[in-house]
Amino acid sequence: MNASSGQSLWKAAGRTLWKRPLTRICLLIVVLYTGAALYGEAVYYWNRSQDTIPSYQHQDIDNRFQPPGAGHIMGTDALGRDVFQRLIQGTRIAFRVGLITSMIAIPLGVLLGCLAGYFGGRVDDVIVWLYSTFASIPGLLFILAIAMVVGKGLTGVYLGIGLTTWVSVCRLIRAEVMKHRDRPYVEAARVLGYRSPRIIFLHILPNVFHVIIIAFTLRFPASISTEVFMSFLGIGVQGEPSWGIMINSARLRLWQGVWWEMTFVTLAVFFVVLAFNLLGDALRDALDPRLRTGITD
Amino acid sequence: MSDPLLDVKDLRVWFPIRRGVISRTVGHVRAVDGVSLSIGEGEVLGLVGESGCGKSTLARAILRLETPREGTIRYAGRDITQASGRQLADLRRHVQVVFQDPYASLNPRMTIMDIVTEGPLEHGLIPAREREQAAADILGDVGLGRDALHRYPHEFSGGQRQRIGIARALAMKPKLIICDEAVSALDVSVQAQVINLLSDLRASHGLSYLFITHDLSVVRYIADRVAVMYYGKIVETGPCETVMHNPSHDYTKKLLAAIPVPGRKRGELET
Repeated sequence: MNASSGQSLWKAAGRTLWKRPLTRICLLIVVLYTGAALYGEAVYYWNRSQDTIPSYQHQDIDNRFQPPGAGHIMGTDALGRDVFQRLIQGTRIAFRVGLITSMIAIPLGVLLGCLAGYFGGRVDDVIVWLYSTFASIPGLLFILAIAMVVGKGLTGVYLGIGLTTWVSVCRLIRAEVMKHRDRPYVEAARVLGYRSPRIIFLHILPNVFHVIIIAFTLRFPASISTEVFMSFLGIGVQGEPSWGIMINSARLRLWQGVWWEMTFVTLAVFFVVLAFNLLGDALRDALDPRLRTGITD
Repeated sequence: MSDPLLDVKDLRVWFPIRRGVISRTVGHVRAVDGVSLSIGEGEVLGLVGESGCGKSTLARAILRLETPREGTIRYAGRDITQASGRQLADLRRHVQVVFQDPYASLNPRMTIMDIVTEGPLEHGLIPAREREQAAADILGDVGLGRDALHRYPHEFSGGQRQRIGIARALAMKPKLIICDEAVSALDVSVQAQVINLLSDLRASHGLSYLFITHDLSVVRYIADRVAVMYYGKIVETGPCETVMHNPSHDYTKKLLAAIPVPGRKRGELET
């Protein structure tokens, strides 16, 4: 028995996580990116309120293709714009996409997954049919179609990614809820006369919540990659700096030795995706009861 | 004797066996096949039988977790076989359950106080501000201290968790508790403690039990009457002493012979 009183499984998992140095480094990276995204957001809104041209859009043809140096720590691009500033704006866009698509995909996936898993039968049939249909459409094609309907730009990116990625969340949650549905603690709750919504959301959901957290940490970088790719193809973000747009423009001059824009953007994408994926892995180790070793009796 | 507390008549619970792509029903597993039993007020009925003979399905049907195919279940004179809504909610108050697995039967994300008081709060049996006191009282009844209130299930041993499970059922102030293999997962010494606790609670709270177990030696300590179940049917029923010492059905004799007794050779019957 544990010596400390009232220790919830969450606290125990938090402690397990904090013990690993790699997790701390990943957390630090995520915090740094979040800070950059918030800073980018502040710059964006400040410029909008002042109605000025933001510094990351400021063109300076005389200083184009400047290598990294004192004035521009990451150099300048083909129009003489500061790469570092644009990179931060790219982070802002990436985080917006990651968060907003998750806020569309996760509630949808969780709700449908819970209903399918708990009630089974006809409800399950309908929901499984629905997500199988979605899953059978090639992802990118579907995203392209949505982007075409709502128009190019961020809204298309949000909806396109959000409405396709709920499928994997739904599948995970459905399987997890099915496992819990017949556990004695759920049957005890039924015998105690609780209504289904109470059992689903107050009894089962806290027990499958780790799946949602893990799904989020894995969805987030995946959405960012998809946004980068969409913007690279020119159907994503319009008129604002995005990592995809930067990669697209940088590739033209790469063979002429203009390496900095491509390098820094790629590294930015690389580290955020890596950090989130490692964090997702660590979270799964800490939160998944089957993999948890530290706090068994 | 007046109306029995629980009266089950000719109950059948069959599960369909489905095959093929269109899920055609090709037959049925007759988990419970024409069972009749009754439990009087304050009485303990032991239900014994081997694994898979339908004991738990019978319990689940009485708890209305399974839908019976045929037969009636009457609680305190009222037919509850098709109860729903208010009537079912009322039944939930009066008939409670203690499960076998003390590890899986408590929600790992809830504190003991929440586990024990959620039911009575939902049914309006206690006011919200007296929650903590009510929880402490109930835990006291099952021999746990106040310090357990804000802890989580994983911080307790198997026997303690089973006490918490009993407290959860007890908090609803039920008349009948169905103990589905309630002590089978525990060590023998802890089994004895929990059985004593159940006996004490029976006296102090005026409870009736349907005590389900595969272990005949446990039944004799708590049950007034015993029903022996075999392949979905009840083959023998009678006062505990009679069934134990003078079994009439072959299956009961075999069950009794299976109890290990020091000094007795295998297969030899108790005389």
